Amino acid sequence: MNRKLIGLVPLAIFALLSVFLYQGLFGDPRELQTGRLGHPMPQFSLPDLMDENKVWTEQDLKGEVYLMNVWGTWCPTCIAELGYLTELKERGIKIVGLYYEQAYDPDFGDQFDVVKLREEVNNMLDRAGNPYAFNILDLERTLALDLGVSGAPETFLVDKEGKILVHHTGDVNPRVWRAKFAHVLQEITP
Amino acid sequence: MITRLRFVLGLCAGLFIATTNASVEDKYQFESKERAQTFAELTKELRCPKCQNQNIADSDAVVAKDLRDRVLTLVHEGKSKQEVIDFMIDRYGYFVHYQPPVTPLTVLLWILPGLIIVIGFGFIVVRQRKAAQAQEWTEADEKQLNALLEKYEQRGQQ
Repeated sequence: MNRKLIGLVPLAIFALLSVFLYQGLFGDPRELQTGRLGHPMPQFSLPDLMDENKVWTEQDLKGEVYLMNVWGTWCPTCIAELGYLTELKERGIKIVGLYYEQAYDPDFGDQFDVVKLREEVNNMLDRAGNPYAFNILDLERTLALDLGVSGAPETFLVDKEGKILVHHTGDVNPRVWRAKFAHVLQEITP
Repeated sequence: MITRLRFVLGLCAGLFIATTNASVEDKYQFESKERAQTFAELTKELRCPKCQNQNIADSDAVVAKDLRDRVLTLVHEGKSKQEVIDFMIDRYGYFVHYQPPVTPLTVLLWILPGLIIVIGFGFIVVRQRKAAQAQEWTEADEKQLNALLEKYEQRGQQ
């Protein structure tokens, strides 16, 4: 009896290992831990993409649940998700764009042409749908760094008090929405 | 002729290496050698969140450059190495540091291999001892032996 049990030990170890490794097959290495979950939106003071005189801070965003979507016209996946984000907006979800400028690097003496960028953004949103209540221009990517953004697209769900509840890396599509966002949003909306 | 060519090529290579070294040193200037050292260590230890198996010194991703620049600013401000690492972990999670913290879960990675070795050797030793023990020859053993011998002898006669 005892001997039989001992004989089963290698099989048990093998089974456990198989389960562990099998799960690893479906893990997404880009699904990062993020340091900002459960923390408040970091302080910032950044201009509106369409109007440099309008300055947004984290205080202006309080009082409403919203999605913050990090995007750029240079990023094909961001453009692909615009359609679905527009659908979400039509369902009454507020979406704030954080414009992530990739090419600009003052160390290399780059000139930044905001007028050209506005034109480009408007063209893009006219064609693919405009889900944004407004866009914040993060030219130096400081807010992006404070949020732990590693690229675009990335999307955050933020509650009324400004607490970050979800941080998603990659595009938002119906599957991701159901799996990561919908139930969290349902919990906080009465 | 060939040796001459080699000499010229070698000279060119030498010059090239000399100039690139100089430009790296010129790019970042530090108040002290310690800070330069801290910066070099940090950029090697911090992991690029985009190009996942490169450190931020190695990677050309936009985010890696942003992290490098921020590390530089923090080092210039006189922050210690640990403070900079904490700053990055706050934002990018433990992933961003190549040395993961010891937590109840990760401690398994340290303990488990040792445990497996100890159990394995223990098993061998116990088995060895059991096998080496002298066993008494009992009446029952004698009977069983005789029965078996008889059986084989019968088979041989057939």
